Amino acid sequence: MKKTFALLLICLFVIVVAGCGGQAEKFPTKPVTLVVPWAAGGGTDAIARGLGKAAEKPLGQTITVNNVTGGGGAVGHGAGLNAKNDGYTVTMITFELLSLPPQKLIPFTYKDYDLLMRLNTDPAALTVKADSPFKTVKDFVEYAKTNPGKVNVGNSGPASVWHLAAGLLEEKAGIKLNHVPFNGAAPAVTDLVGGHIQAVTVSPAEVQSQVKAGQLKMLAIMSDKRDPNFPDVPTFKEAGYDITFATWRGLAVPKNTPENVKKVLADAFKQGYDSPEFQEFAKKASLGLAYASAADFKTFLDKTAADTEAVMKKLNLAK
Amino acid sequence: MELDLLLKGFGVVFQPSCFGLILLGTVSGVLIGALPGLTATMGVALLIPFTFGLPVHQGVGMLLGIFCGAIYGGSISAILIRTPGTPAAAATVLDGYPLNQKGEAGRALSMSIFASFVGGFSGALIMTFASPQISRVALQFSAPEYFGLAIFGLSIIISISGNSIVKGIIAGFFGMLISTIGLDPMAGYPRFTFGFMDLFEGPAFIPTLIGLFALSEVFKGVEVLYKQEAVKAVKQQLLPSWTDIRKAWLTIVKSTFIGTFIGAVPGAGSDISAFVAYGEAKRSSKHPETFGKGEITGVAAAEAANNACTGGAMIPMLSLGVPGDAVTAVLLGALVIQGLQPGPLLFKDHIDMVYSIFAGMMTANLLMFLVGIFGIRFFVRIISIERSLLIPIIFLLSIVGAYSMRNSLFDVGLAVVFGIIGYFMQRYDFPASPILLSLILGPLAESSLRRALIVSHGDFTILFTRPISLALILLAIASLITATIMQLKLEKRMLAENAQQPRSGS
Repeated sequence: MKKTFALLLICLFVIVVAGCGGQAEKFPTKPVTLVVPWAAGGGTDAIARGLGKAAEKPLGQTITVNNVTGGGGAVGHGAGLNAKNDGYTVTMITFELLSLPPQKLIPFTYKDYDLLMRLNTDPAALTVKADSPFKTVKDFVEYAKTNPGKVNVGNSGPASVWHLAAGLLEEKAGIKLNHVPFNGAAPAVTDLVGGHIQAVTVSPAEVQSQVKAGQLKMLAIMSDKRDPNFPDVPTFKEAGYDITFATWRGLAVPKNTPENVKKVLADAFKQGYDSPEFQEFAKKASLGLAYASAADFKTFLDKTAADTEAVMKKLNLAK
Repeated sequence: MELDLLLKGFGVVFQPSCFGLILLGTVSGVLIGALPGLTATMGVALLIPFTFGLPVHQGVGMLLGIFCGAIYGGSISAILIRTPGTPAAAATVLDGYPLNQKGEAGRALSMSIFASFVGGFSGALIMTFASPQISRVALQFSAPEYFGLAIFGLSIIISISGNSIVKGIIAGFFGMLISTIGLDPMAGYPRFTFGFMDLFEGPAFIPTLIGLFALSEVFKGVEVLYKQEAVKAVKQQLLPSWTDIRKAWLTIVKSTFIGTFIGAVPGAGSDISAFVAYGEAKRSSKHPETFGKGEITGVAAAEAANNACTGGAMIPMLSLGVPGDAVTAVLLGALVIQGLQPGPLLFKDHIDMVYSIFAGMMTANLLMFLVGIFGIRFFVRIISIERSLLIPIIFLLSIVGAYSMRNSLFDVGLAVVFGIIGYFMQRYDFPASPILLSLILGPLAESSLRRALIVSHGDFTILFTRPISLALILLAIASLITATIMQLKLEKRMLAENAQQPRSGS
């Protein structure tokens, strides 16, 4: 009986150790690690696992997802940056890479990585309760103008992407809002459904089930084009306000990774991105797929980083 | 109509492939839950990719099995090695481990599986028949109500203070102090992080838990490693005795309702519900002095509540599209990837799917019961292992558990630091559980109070003008007063006893 038990314990250890994830010379001759700065089970993790699986075949090696979480993304981004620049560690970089540096929370920026590609962008949308007196963005702005600081707008946390989206709206429309930070987008949406706040500025994907059920209504989205899932919702540009703002995700490797290695990785991940499995997966998860090459990604980040820092200064979030 | 749909749901669930996967999920759930450091959330998250290729009801069934199994599994290590396998089992330690020390591990384990099953199954039943009604109430909860709930929960600190209110309060405040470490939840500025990025989110909960409870016990155990102890014969039992059931019955029913409701409120999960139910059980008990020293109803309250919470947490997830706790947040993601968008429309468009989830949840709880009963005979063997072998094993499990939460060596160091703190606390008779309660509820109290004040533009009356929030705050005050009176009486009695009969050693 003792033997059985010992065997059982050994099995348990193996499970635990296997669950810890493996650590990652011609390229690639061994598995590649994909560092995700966010927890297993979240949106970023889902994309990493979906894409990782799809890119394994073209790469000819296994891709292991390693969730290095903590510090609002700071720890994982740092781990990916400080990894060996041999291409065996790829990092899924996210929007927080632009908002953490102005707060002086991390000593590095996106410029300290070599970029591989951008994967998706998800715009912010201004959403209110279905029975709200605001029918259009104009109603909302006008009310906020006559009642400065009165409208409670929920966001997903201090200095989070959706907090900055609301800040940008304030700046461009010349209004003053009352920002209410929540611990993530879902609790903010719940409070809106319960009628405890007046609006949220989160992505369409995060409110779509309530909008489709007729509990909430989207006034406008902060992108260049309308969302195919919500063809009736105008963009802010159409509504007369020049506001575009989106969160994004992309892939990067440590600085000075050899060019040929970067090419192999970029090709493999692009093939994975184009694969029918990944496209199907992205559609189901309502991801706003938006591939951009390394060079285009850089131009995009230069502009977004400047916008982000400016808004953060306005919101007193930048040091 | 409803029954008809439910029967159809069971029809789907009892197909061999689906049933097999739920069983597989439940067994792995129990193991995941029992291992310190692997939580229900991680278990579900890590296995989601395996469900992509499966039909929806099979994949979701397996995940539900993991969910239910893991919440129960946490109690096994809580009772046997003083380490809650998941945060949900933190309240189970309070009486589960003392029972084990008295040589009644079998009794505690059988009560744990029984209460888990009754709580979990009833929670699933409530979810099946009252989802729309409960989710309407849950929507009434906003920042002021969460503040009320957190304060009510914190008032329990007095009840779990052990021998001295003062020491309990000191421990509680120490926990509150620790919970302020990290990025400010409203302004985003780092507090007491000393430049460590790993502290931005505060000291990680699981490593702290492992340190305070498991490592401190290891350090203490090393002192007496080679001391020959009379091996206590463990009475094996599969089901709790009739006396125990009769004693705990009312508590289980009450805890089930508390657990389901707290689960249904987004933002409060099984860890909180277990503590609230435990506090209520102690408050309403005729022998409150036995709590914390191996009271079987204490185990029953905590386990019934945290398992009832699983059904409760599913309610807002399915009917509103907002998760009730961390695990259901991950489950929501899994459903979305399968092409099902939870929310009011799910009940309209995929009612068959909804009912197969209900049926799956009940089946998972039934299987959990069977797995648990079958497993008890193996679990109890752990304590008959020689101490000189068991203690290194617990030490290793603790280190691996602390590391695996975030793949972080920093967390291992954190666990060791808290292990040392916990060791000295035990030595000087400070209770460790108030720290835990403060760590769970402190952040909720802080952020909801500040959020309420932002929404009200700085007006404190928002806390007292909303009925639910006012009721919760009044309950907290009442609980504070009665618990203090009760505790002071206890202390007096103990003093009197000690005076009569001077303690020989400790």
